[in-house]
Amino acid sequence: MRLRTFALVSLLLVAAFTGANITSWKLPYPMPEDAQEGKAVWQKHNCVSCHTLFGNGGYVGDDMTNILKRRTAEDVQHYLTNPPVMRPNREHLHPALEPGEAEFLTSYLRFVGDIPTLGWPPEPRGAKQ
Amino acid sequence: MIFERSVLGYLFRKLAGRKQAQENQDTGAYQGANSKELNASHGTDSKQTNTNQRTGAPGQVFKAQIIARNYTLAAALLFGTQGIVALLGAIDLIIPDLPSPIPFEYGRSIHLGLAVLWPLIGTMGMVYYFVTEDLDREIFSPRLAKWQFWLVLAASLSIYASLTFRLGRGREYLEGLPLSYAGISLALGLFSYNLMRTLIKHKQRITPAAMIMTAGSVLLLMFLIPNILSVTNPIADEATKFWVVHAWEEMAFELTTSGFLASYLKNTGLAAKKDIEKWLYLEAALTVAAGLFGTGHHYYWIGFPAYWLLVGFLFSFLQLIPVALLVLMVYKGLKKRPQLGNRQKLTLALILSSMLYHVTGASLLGFIITVPWINLYMHGTYITSGHAHLALFGSLGFLVLGGSYYILSRGTQPDRKTYRRGIMAVLALNVGLLTMSTALIIAGFLQAYRARYLGMNFMEVNLQLNLYLSARAAGGAIFTSGDLLLTWQILKAWRKSKNAVS
Ligand code: HEM
Ligand code: HEM
Ligand SMILES: [Fe+2]
Repeated sequence: MRLRTFALVSLLLVAAFTGANITSWKLPYPMPEDAQEGKAVWQKHNCVSCHTLFGNGGYVGDDMTNILKRRTAEDVQHYLTNPPVMRPNREHLHPALEPGEAEFLTSYLRFVGDIPTLGWPPEPRGAKQ
Repeated sequence: MIFERSVLGYLFRKLAGRKQAQENQDTGAYQGANSKELNASHGTDSKQTNTNQRTGAPGQVFKAQIIARNYTLAAALLFGTQGIVALLGAIDLIIPDLPSPIPFEYGRSIHLGLAVLWPLIGTMGMVYYFVTEDLDREIFSPRLAKWQFWLVLAASLSIYASLTFRLGRGREYLEGLPLSYAGISLALGLFSYNLMRTLIKHKQRITPAAMIMTAGSVLLLMFLIPNILSVTNPIADEATKFWVVHAWEEMAFELTTSGFLASYLKNTGLAAKKDIEKWLYLEAALTVAAGLFGTGHHYYWIGFPAYWLLVGFLFSFLQLIPVALLVLMVYKGLKKRPQLGNRQKLTLALILSSMLYHVTGASLLGFIITVPWINLYMHGTYITSGHAHLALFGSLGFLVLGGSYYILSRGTQPDRKTYRRGIMAVLALNVGLLTMSTALIIAGFLQAYRARYLGMNFMEVNLQLNLYLSARAAGGAIFTSGDLLLTWQILKAWRKSKNAVS
């Protein structure tokens, strides 16, 4: 293989890859404004350092992709505005949000929960009830 | 030439100094004042580094190779810092209520930011060094290379500074503010420009190694630019993040890695030119194809259509082929068991450590966790962290340290004590890394099995991981001791060789 072939093949591959990406990241429905605000809150407080979304992030806390299918929005907002002590600490609290921020955040989490993720997070299979 | 005519080209030429833009009559080589001494101490290396065909003077040093010392020194120092920050973070995870000036979440951000950037800075130095070495010609503009160093350093340090004040972007790996990434992109732009102009200027001499290192640099730039600003679409946000986390690491840096190894083996006389260059473009094209579409293994669960399960899996499998070719190349290079000086031995200890993790922790473990049914359960557990450390440090980090040591020790040999300490440091890094990642993989397996498969409460499961996280911190302590010891030896090599090369 020669220089020219290599350069050409690489450029074509990059173009094809970029195109495939852009057609693949379509949202299921337009993102509501509250959810957009909520994404900014998620980023501002660096939630991803401890939690995952779509399974990407830190491993200290649980995955948040479909948290609103397990808890009500009110529960989550209450947790975030009156944060408890984080186990196994005795004093260290979970970071706190303002009430407005907590509402935006739950809108974002609701939107994320509606994105089809091909089965993430997995349904527990081996659970012996 | 397109560049000649463009306005941008004009501005760059201004910046780079007119003299450089004119066709240079000579090779552009810079003859070090003490080159005799340099050559004398080179004697124990298996072969003299490049020989100037025109003057017959061996062991000349290009300006770009002296500037490369700034980059590699900065990389080594940042690596030293990372070990300390990381160890504190690991301890924070096992001791409740540990008082610390920086909370865990920002410490982690600094750690991740450092993890991507010191290998980048080191790579820039290595590319400058080995491209000039391979072409046996000076870089297009040494002045640009010098300025570009301060730019990339300032932009990188601004990320750590802002994160220390808890100012970040909350995006994993791309933790800093947009301005910082604009600075890094600009630096990568200048870097790519400088390299391309060098290749254009010496068209007849272009070697496959120089070409694929340049291609790798351009790809680094192309995939960073979309990450300067964050997007609101959360699916696109995840995907573009992996253009850096994956396309950088598993495609662009793979290209620069193959380039260095080829150039290193060839120019130290370890392997024959024809053995090295025969497969290089093919290997590189495979790296680009497999590396690019292999990004699919990060797209399984982020809202992308289902065909990415197949694309990600198949192309990740293809990723193993260029790695095998690379291993074959290094094996051929070392088969002759040449007589080596201590400088080469220490360099090779680092390079071979890198090859070990390139094959095991990066490629084999990486491939296992790429299988979608496995990934569904292990995704987002400490197994990912185990693989990330084995691959990012084990494969890329060791290589950049090897290159940095090689560049910074040019013209000298380590004394016996330094050599012994260097080897001890490499051992400690290996033992520390293996301990850390084994502990992480066990912890991750427990998370995957108990929380994801059995459906136990995630936090309950995490509270039972203390044993493994402590073992990880212990491994981290061994690692950090090796990290500091090696950084110190590299610093010593840098000081000792200062007179030899400038
Ligand atoms: C030198 C080469 C490599 C480097 C530097 C590297 C680095 C990384 C890093 C940093 C992550 C963590 C990403 C995150 O936190 O989300 C990761 C994840 C991953 N890597 Fe690699 N990797 C390499 C090679 C490979 C190869 C060759 C494969 C497959 C053939 C692979 C498969 C994966 C997979 C599937 C994940 C996602 C794990 C998850 O689902 O959580 N890696 N890699
Ligand atoms: C003293 C050595 C080190 C220690 C104790 C350490 C510790 C940590 C800790 C505590 C985290 C947070 C997530 C977790 O708990 O796994 C982390 C993540 C990470 N570290 Fe390190 N680290 C060390 C060295 C390194 C080096 C040298 C690199 C690469 C050059 C690196 C790259 C990473 C990456 C990429 C992640 C993100 C992993 C992921 O999210 O999948 N670390 N490390
Ligand atoms: Fe990857």
